Amino acid sequence: MARNEELYKAVASGKRRDVQRIVQEALDKGDDVLALLNESMIPAMQEVGDKFSRGEAFIPEMLIAARAMQAGVTLIEPTLVKSGHKAAGRVCIGAVKGDLHDIGKNLVAIMLRSAGYEVIDLGTDCDVAKFREAVDEQGAQAVLASALLSTTMSYMQKLVDGFRDRPDVPIIIGGAPVTEEFAEQIGAAGYGKDAGDAVKAVRRLIAQPA
Amino acid sequence: MRLKLLSCEVFYREMCAVVARSPNTVDIQFFPKGLHDRGGKAMRAVIQEGIDAGRDEPAEAVLLGYGLCNNSLAGLRALEKPLVVPRAHDCLAILMGGREPFSRYFEKHPGTYFLSSGWLERGKTASQPATTRGGAFGMSWDQLVEQYGEENAAYLVEQDRESTGHYDRVGFFRMGVEPDGRFEEEARAVAAEKGWLFDLLPGSLHLLQDLVDGNWRDVDFLTVPPGHEIALTYDEQIIRARPIMS
Repeated sequence: MARNEELYKAVASGKRRDVQRIVQEALDKGDDVLALLNESMIPAMQEVGDKFSRGEAFIPEMLIAARAMQAGVTLIEPTLVKSGHKAAGRVCIGAVKGDLHDIGKNLVAIMLRSAGYEVIDLGTDCDVAKFREAVDEQGAQAVLASALLSTTMSYMQKLVDGFRDRPDVPIIIGGAPVTEEFAEQIGAAGYGKDAGDAVKAVRRLIAQPA
Repeated sequence: MRLKLLSCEVFYREMCAVVARSPNTVDIQFFPKGLHDRGGKAMRAVIQEGIDAGRDEPAEAVLLGYGLCNNSLAGLRALEKPLVVPRAHDCLAILMGGREPFSRYFEKHPGTYFLSSGWLERGKTASQPATTRGGAFGMSWDQLVEQYGEENAAYLVEQDRESTGHYDRVGFFRMGVEPDGRFEEEARAVAAEKGWLFDLLPGSLHLLQDLVDGNWRDVDFLTVPPGHEIALTYDEQIIRARPIMS
């Protein structure tokens, strides 16, 4: 199935009602909605993420595109569940202890969901125990941690140390002051310079479910 | 000694006051506070241009009136003259008079929205919480509607409000350079409107005064020799100088 240009544009420009209408029409016709998701909606969201990386789109564009995308996904979900479609993986995400900023973290969560991951959103001000619980009890396969302040990013070292006994669970960090150099220095498995990049890191670092 | 100071306008009143009292002759160039929102790369480029432009001026050193500001200073180069930079994560620690007192306060009150005369009178930006004017992300309501449509505009305003939902107090720095109580009153009004606590913080000019006076203790200031650039340390030192790589 080729890309549905109208749907692609509607997602990328955040036209929620248009997305709902196009998806509903496809459902009514019995079209392959998984293909719509994979070939039109996810690429549209990725395009917005890439534009954001290049400084051509900003937080509002990301937010409205994600909302439009989510509206379509909500319509598709029952069909996906019925067909036994599995999530790409399960991850947890949170802003580290002391950091109460969540907009960047939310954007990463949105991009991950858009890419088909199940996301456990732990919110802000998360200590090691909170991340551990998501991994040990809810089966998160990767930990994503954000910090917006250079004053709070030092907590990321404690987070990495807190998962020394779980080398199978990659820690991926990001946030405005966080650099790749810092990620290497503290021994984090991955680094995302922005939301789209974080998704790429998750794809690289966690195994697909069988 | 003649010095060149490149400063964020968030310190406008403070810098004018400390320069007035300094034994040194200090040429000041202010940059818009909004640079902060254009990201590290853009901000770095503008400041580097300012540093480079001072090449033929008589100043013996170039001072930066900036905190690390989300790594924006990392990579700035001292070419012919030394650069002197306060060791601070951001302007707030500088207004507080040091990174230790600021860290102590911030750890206790992470939901503080800090204000000062510069924050209040210089370029309102996207990083400030949306006020009653109904806009979001640094755009007015009308601009939002024009760009994204009314339904999306309403959603964006709601999202912006939520993103500032973690604040529970205003911390206003009284620096002793204000003409009267107008800025404090404005800050109190912000707190009242949002239903946040108000905390009056006695700011300190001493780091700024030491910067322009030439009291560059290594513990508080990094001196970047010519041929070196600013690099991150990721520890209490915050920044260090390293030879320019390329």
